[in-house]
Amino acid sequence: MAQVDYPEPVKVLIAQLKRLPGVGPKSAERIAVWLMQRGREMTGPFSEALEKAGELVLECGTCGFFATAEKGCAICDGLGRDDSVMCVVEQPTDILPLERSGAFRGQYHALRGKISPLDNVGPEDLRIGELVARLKRGSYSELILALSADVEGEATSNYLVEVLGQVGKELKITRLAQGISVGGGLESVDELTLFRALEGRVGM
Amino acid sequence: MKPGITIFHGDNAQGKTSILEAMCVLLRLQSPRSSALADCILFEKNAFAIGGNLVTDAGDESDMRMQYSSGGRKLLIDDEMQKRSADYINHSALVVWMANDDLALVRAGGDGRRRYLDFMASQLFPTYRPALRAYDKAMRSRNFLLKRDASPKWPEIDAYTKILADQALIVTRIRRELLTKLTPFAEQAQRTISGRDEKLGIEYLSKSGENDDLAAELLSRRSEEYGRRITVAGPHRDDFTMVINGRPAAKFASEGQQRTLALALKLAQTELFLSLREQPPILLIDDVFGELDVTRRNALMNAWPKTSQKLITTTNLDWLDGDFSGAARVEICDGIATIA
Ligand SMILES: [Zn+2]
Repeated sequence: MAQVDYPEPVKVLIAQLKRLPGVGPKSAERIAVWLMQRGREMTGPFSEALEKAGELVLECGTCGFFATAEKGCAICDGLGRDDSVMCVVEQPTDILPLERSGAFRGQYHALRGKISPLDNVGPEDLRIGELVARLKRGSYSELILALSADVEGEATSNYLVEVLGQVGKELKITRLAQGISVGGGLESVDELTLFRALEGRVGM
Repeated sequence: MKPGITIFHGDNAQGKTSILEAMCVLLRLQSPRSSALADCILFEKNAFAIGGNLVTDAGDESDMRMQYSSGGRKLLIDDEMQKRSADYINHSALVVWMANDDLALVRAGGDGRRRYLDFMASQLFPTYRPALRAYDKAMRSRNFLLKRDASPKWPEIDAYTKILADQALIVTRIRRELLTKLTPFAEQAQRTISGRDEKLGIEYLSKSGENDDLAAELLSRRSEEYGRRITVAGPHRDDFTMVINGRPAAKFASEGQQRTLALALKLAQTELFLSLREQPPILLIDDVFGELDVTRRNALMNAWPKTSQKLITTTNLDWLDGDFSGAARVEICDGIATIA
C-alpha cells in the first residue's frame, strides 16, 4: 500500500515556502496547512500581493533602494532632499532606520554587502563602481559611511576611504560616530567602542 | 562534583582529559589546549554540547549549558538564552589549567606562551576576547588576500592592516599589563618551590615594531610580505622571555629549574586570580600528580587555595596518600564515569 502524503499542490507549496529565509521544513508545513485551512479568503489576497510585488517592485539603479516603475524611487526622485551629502549603507534595508531617525535628508547609496574575502566577496561584487560614478557626476561635499562596526564593515569603510580619496579633494569622508547604546551601561562596552565614543565626545 | 578534591582515574585514552577540557570549555568557552573550539568536535561528528551546574561559595546555583556546531553556538544559563558570550562568561568561574606538558611553557616555542597569556587575559579583561577575535579575523582575511593574487591588491589588504593595528594595540597593552601583574607572584613561587634565592625576570617581546606601531612596521616590511605572502609582524608572533639569575631559562636552566618555573607560572596565575577576584579559581589539573616529585607536589598543595575546587586526572594512584583522604574518586573507562 502506498504511503499517504499531502496532495501534490500542498507539497509544491511546502517546497516553495521552504525556500524562504529562516523557514525550515516543519514551519513550511505549518504555514501551508494554515493557509489551506483558511481557503480562498486567505490565499486569494495573499497570492495577489505576492504577484504584484514581484511584478512592480524594482531596485533603484541609482541608490539601490526599492522602487516602482510607476512612482520611481522615493529617495532619488523625492523632493526637498539635500544633494550635497550622501550616506553609504550596506543593504537597502539599512536606509529605513536612518530615514526614520529624521536626522538625515541627503542621498543614499546601498553597496549590497560588505567586503569579506573569506566568503569570496570582493570590492568588485559591491556597487562601488556605481558609487564612484555618482560622486564624479554630482557635486557632493560630504560622504558619510554608515557600515556595520564588525571586521568586514570596518574593512569596507577603510577600503572606501582609500579608493574614494582620489575622487576629489573637496569631498569630505566621515563615518558614523560609535558610542554607547541608549540604556546600556559602560561595563558591557568593548574597549575600542569606548575609545571611539571618547574621541567623539560632545560638550554639554 | 564535591567542593574539595575530585580525582578522575583510569588508563590512558579513556577520556579523562576530555572531561577536564569539557569543563573548561563550559566555564570559559575556550580550551587551554587549542585556539579554535571547532577542534573540540569529535572526528566525524559535526557538533557538541556540554552542560553543568555551577555552585558558588555563597551557595548560588545555576545551570550552564553550551551547544556548539558549525552553524553557530547557543549559550544558556538556567534555560535562559545568553546572546552575548560576555554575559555568559561573567556569570562563570575562573579556571586555572595545569597539565603535564606545562614544561613546554619554558622549553618550547611561543605558541604555548601566547595561549597561556590569552587564556588568562580573556578571563581577567573583558575587552581582551573581542579584540583578539577581531584581530584574528582581520589577520586571516589579510593572509588570504596576500596569498590569493599573483600581484597583491594592497588597497584591499591595507583595509585590514588598519584594523589589525587598532586591535594589536589593545592586545599588546593588556598582555604587558598582565605580565607586569603576574611577575611578582611568579618570582615568589619560583623562590618558594626551589627553596633558593633564584631571581626570576620576565620580559614581554612585542613584534609590532617601534612603539608597537604595527601599521608602520608592516608598511616598512612590504617587500618581505610580498615575498612570503603572510602577515610578518603583530601580536600573533609576540612572546615573552624568562630569565633565572640573569640567564635565559629555556637554554641555560637545569631541567629541575625549568620544571619549577613551569609550575611557578601556573601557581602565579592562581595567586593573581585570587588577588583580583573574590571567588577562588577552579583548578583543572591534568595528569600532573604522577610526574611531580615530593618538593613540587608539596609546593603545589601548599599554594593552592583551600577553598578552590580541584579536579585532578591521573593514570595511577601510587602517589595518593593521607593528604587526599577526603577526595572523591571517579573511575573513567572508555568514556564512562563511575563514582567510586
Ligand atoms: Zn534611488
